[in-house]
Amino acid sequence: MESSTDKSIWLLFIAGDINAFATLFKLYYSPLHNYGLKISNNTVLTEDCLQSFFVYLYENRLKLGNVNHVKSYLFVSFRRALLKILKREKKFTSYEQIFENSKSFEFSIEELLIQQEFTKIKTTTLTKLLNSLTVREREAVYLKYYSNLKINEIAEVMSISYQSVLNTLQKAFTKLRNLVESHEIKQAFNLN
Amino acid sequence: MSGNNQSLLEILLNDSSFVNWANQSNQNDIVFWDEWINNNPKHIKTVYAAKAIINGIKFNKSQLPEEKVNSELSAIIHKISTKKNTNKIGSKKRKFLSKFLKLSALAAIGILLIILSNNVLNSSSKVIQKTGFGEIVELKLPDGTTVILNGNSQISYDKSNVRNIDLKGEAYFKVKSIPSTHAKFWVNTEDLKVEVYGTQFHVNTREEKTEVVLDEGSIHLVLDNGTTTKMIPGELVSFSKEKNTVSQKKISTELPYSLWRDGTYVFNNITLETVMKNVKQAYGVDIEFMDEELKQQLLTGGIPNQNLKICLSAIEKSTGTRIVHKDNKLTLYKNSNN
Repeated sequence: MESSTDKSIWLLFIAGDINAFATLFKLYYSPLHNYGLKISNNTVLTEDCLQSFFVYLYENRLKLGNVNHVKSYLFVSFRRALLKILKREKKFTSYEQIFENSKSFEFSIEELLIQQEFTKIKTTTLTKLLNSLTVREREAVYLKYYSNLKINEIAEVMSISYQSVLNTLQKAFTKLRNLVESHEIKQAFNLN
Repeated sequence: MSGNNQSLLEILLNDSSFVNWANQSNQNDIVFWDEWINNNPKHIKTVYAAKAIINGIKFNKSQLPEEKVNSELSAIIHKISTKKNTNKIGSKKRKFLSKFLKLSALAAIGILLIILSNNVLNSSSKVIQKTGFGEIVELKLPDGTTVILNGNSQISYDKSNVRNIDLKGEAYFKVKSIPSTHAKFWVNTEDLKVEVYGTQFHVNTREEKTEVVLDEGSIHLVLDNGTTTKMIPGELVSFSKEKNTVSQKKISTELPYSLWRDGTYVFNNITLETVMKNVKQAYGVDIEFMDEELKQQLLTGGIPNQNLKICLSAIEKSTGTRIVHKDNKLTLYKNSNN
């Protein structure tokens, strides 16, 4: 699914080819659906938003102009559309507020593979530790390892700089490391 | 200070050798970065962060069922087509632009398909056989030819032409002759092309040159500089494209050139330096002599070459040296007890 194929499909889609549109839809509906759920925790709202998002894309395709990375373009525009709805629904004043103290990007035990390169602790514990990170850190982790976006694409989606993405990931993993270590120490004492 | 660290983080993440270290996937890179970390303890935190970012978190990704996606898609397509009918404007200019875009996109896709299908065809008909360090493998090609591939070597050929082989490293060929058609057999290296009907010979492409030793029959060599030369049994031809040097001499075929294929290197009054060069090529290790004199020490006899440990202990015994094997590097010391 690298960008050259994506880009040819995108061009056909811009030209009005309904099959190209269907291909794009099939490629990205599921990842965007998952992303939307992670942001909103609301299936109905996510699916409604996705419907109008794809209709909007088709109807305004000639205004979309040149898109460099199809994947991050879709992620960032869908994120914007969803946040707009959330803002209206919950009467938030700013986008930042939506993410504050929110349950966005919380992970469940089932979403983590048992085998982790990064640590040998139990999945239940790792899930808890991951969820104790800030929403921003969790989103970066999600986009990098769940959605497989590159650093520059994550920067585009989260509207922050390349360096900030690296900082955020570094902070997340340093925290996780410290948490894992203190967890292991606690365990060692409990066992003895 | 932190700015410096950040740029180091970025450098590490974009360094393929470092990525190999983080994934523990390449021995040379593991050795290099272990040593680098030892020498740069102040960067340990950045290194660990980079490793964690590369290793990442492994997710069990959920995918929506296909029926769900399809039903959502048809709902949207329905929406689009009903909307379209209610407000049909379509200026001529827009139609033209759309047609133009469509044509150019179609062309782009066509070219892409051609490239893709070429790649697929090429990759599916290409056969590659590789050996790891210290591994010797006897292969039977579809035409009945036998190839004995030495360690750290590779042959490749196209399924449609199995008698045209590309070689990297070192191999011994027993070419099956096909008298009915006089079909030729070719071995291609960086430096030259060996052209034969049916015979036994040895080819070594290591060290930026190609050496060919003929055991029996006769072969033609087409050198990369355009000249051709004919070989007779017991001859060694060595040619380097880079240096454009040719040497042709009669040798005793018993000697180290071909005997590796029986799992033994046989040496007759060969310097320890040359012996270690063979070890280096077969096992991919680095060699260091702590004592220059050792290099010139002569060695005679057979050394097992399929297991590095046994091979080294045989060299130690017959030369009175001590060989320390650490981090992919062999260090040779003079044995003080002798």
